Amino acid sequence: MKNDKAAKIIEKAVKKGRKALSEYESKQLLAAYGIPITKEILLKDKDGLPKAIEKIGFPLVMKGCSADIAHKTEKGLIHVDVRTATEAKKAYREIMAGMEGFEGGVLVQEMVKGRRELVMGLTRDPQFGPCVMFGLGGIFTEILRDVSFRRAPLEAYDAREMMKEIKGHKILDAVRGMEAADEKRLTEMLISIGRIGLENPDIMEIDLNPVILSGPKPVVVDALVVLKQRPD
Amino acid sequence: MSVRKKQARAPEESQFPNADFERIFHPESIAILGVSADENAAGFGTGMLRVLMEMGFEGKIYPVNPRGGSVFGLEIYRRVEDIPDRVDFAVIAVAAKLVPPALEACLKIGVAGAEILSSGFSELVTKEGVQLENQIREIASRGIRVVGPNCFGIYCPRSGLTMLPGPDLSRESGNVAFLAQSGGMAIDFAHAGQWRGVRFSKMVSFGNGADLREAELLCHLAGDPETEVISMYIEGIKDGDVFFRELKAAAARKPVIIFKGGLSKAGARSVASHTASMGGSGVIWSSVLKQTGAVQVFDTQELMQAVTAFSLLPKKSFRNIAVIGGGGAIGVAACDIAERHGIDIPPLSGDIRERIESLLPRPGSSAINPVDVANPLVAPSVLKKVLLNAAQDPRIELQIIVSLLFHYNPYAIMLDVPIDKMVPYKELVEAVDDVINKTGKPVVAVLPNARRGPGNMDITSLIASTRQEYVRRGIPVFDELHEAIRAIAHMNTYYGRRENEKR
Repeated sequence: MKNDKAAKIIEKAVKKGRKALSEYESKQLLAAYGIPITKEILLKDKDGLPKAIEKIGFPLVMKGCSADIAHKTEKGLIHVDVRTATEAKKAYREIMAGMEGFEGGVLVQEMVKGRRELVMGLTRDPQFGPCVMFGLGGIFTEILRDVSFRRAPLEAYDAREMMKEIKGHKILDAVRGMEAADEKRLTEMLISIGRIGLENPDIMEIDLNPVILSGPKPVVVDALVVLKQRPD
Repeated sequence: MSVRKKQARAPEESQFPNADFERIFHPESIAILGVSADENAAGFGTGMLRVLMEMGFEGKIYPVNPRGGSVFGLEIYRRVEDIPDRVDFAVIAVAAKLVPPALEACLKIGVAGAEILSSGFSELVTKEGVQLENQIREIASRGIRVVGPNCFGIYCPRSGLTMLPGPDLSRESGNVAFLAQSGGMAIDFAHAGQWRGVRFSKMVSFGNGADLREAELLCHLAGDPETEVISMYIEGIKDGDVFFRELKAAAARKPVIIFKGGLSKAGARSVASHTASMGGSGVIWSSVLKQTGAVQVFDTQELMQAVTAFSLLPKKSFRNIAVIGGGGAIGVAACDIAERHGIDIPPLSGDIRERIESLLPRPGSSAINPVDVANPLVAPSVLKKVLLNAAQDPRIELQIIVSLLFHYNPYAIMLDVPIDKMVPYKELVEAVDDVINKTGKPVVAVLPNARRGPGNMDITSLIASTRQEYVRRGIPVFDELHEAIRAIAHMNTYYGRRENEKR
């Protein structure tokens, strides 16, 4: 069963010759597969800001959103813990200035609270096709490389095994006063990522990092979907 | 097209072309194409004829060469078509450009399968080589199954098919199958199995794999009643999807142990995400093998050790073991290794411990588990009692006995007795065998040798003889304790998963 909404998002980007989906598009695609994402609104002009604030509520995270810009942090395109309308307006101006004319907008999203950051992803192995990744997220992804992979399609057993397989698997348990992670939800997410890879051959790679555990519930906070490169 | 739909159709798609594996692995008649009338010729064809005769292949052999004549008392047929009999299997060892017509002729007279030993095909990466191999594939698709080209072919002890240069491979059939592209790897594995007590059902070196290759052979071996353990050395595979499916299906039925060579990092590919940069081929292979339920090993030694355990031990996991040997350090090392592999060496229960203590020399011994017999010269009759007692602990599922036989050396010199007359190794093996039969719990032997120098060939020979005694009784032997424990851990990985899934 092909997912029409996802297919449309990809088709649009492919037609424009883009190499990746923007964060907003990436998350819309994930949402179309039932993967939990941050509540967020993409603004193209500043007049929409009050309504967005009203819908999402403080504190906010505001990000420059464009498929053509990588390394948002380094370019000062991310403002976190925005708590007032004045702060929000200032953040909006600064982000738009930092976008240097790239096509895009400002993504206004809820600030997900949670101390546990996970990573999920997809790579397309030349031999085995789409493979799903799970591991420790945030800055630890690259430092510890504590990740596991399974080939799509995943069965629930595979998803559970790959969660058990990482060295830091105890992060999912009820530790230090935090609730145990919703294993069922995590399992569904990993299975869905595999489906995305199987059903959308134009998607080459996916990074969902971080996926924050908000209490027991995983939420995708940042997302990158890399598309198949076509010869120019 | 949606991939989900493709999966729903998988059962029909998994149908491989017809293959009469019975006639291929157990042929009653063989044609060898490319035999010289000169008995001393160095060619593969003549070589294969010679080794098949030495192996005592019971079927009929028909040498073929356009020049005719005779060799080893057999008439050489000028053409395959002239053979006055049904031919089940063909060995093709003619020059590469003559292979397609030779194969075509075999197809025409109804040969079920052929192994093509000749090289000069896609491995050359030349246009001509690739074209010739495509021709082979095309002919094969019309009803003759091909092993090779550029391979050593099939070794099957039951039928007497053998590889080059393999006139001295065992005719004793066993429960282990081995698959590899590499012929050298296959023949070495066959030889290693011989002295380790591993017996083979079938071994196939499929070289370039123009037709029959890993996935289809896996599928066949999964259903083969002669094969209980499948082992493989893999460099590359043709189709990840089909391989995955067949491997998963095979591993669900019997253990599949895989040594994948040529694992590399993602480096070669240009990638944009962290996920892709961390998912190099080595990581993905390991994940895929885990996912299918296969067991991954990392070199040929480890492969052979794992196969030894899977082939000779009862088909289950062993979580709690006893280790009996001389020397406290061995015991400490045993505990460390076992823990790393998730195996327990639990202290024996009090009354058992007391009984064992009363049997052992004092001081220096310990009956806790690992049991330290203190002195490497403890008599087999005493070791037997120790093993019998330890086995009474209901937690113990398997025992390992470590015998440091090389320590007899100074006493043999002192008493001026040859070491193999000094060491009661036959009694030792008999004692262990008795314990296995009486307790129903397996015992694994470890025979380390700290004296392997040229001045100690008598010790090397003694240990080989001791091993031979064990092997004759089907008892697994390892050189080192960590190798034994790692091999058992591989069984735990495989059977543990099955036991888990049942729950």
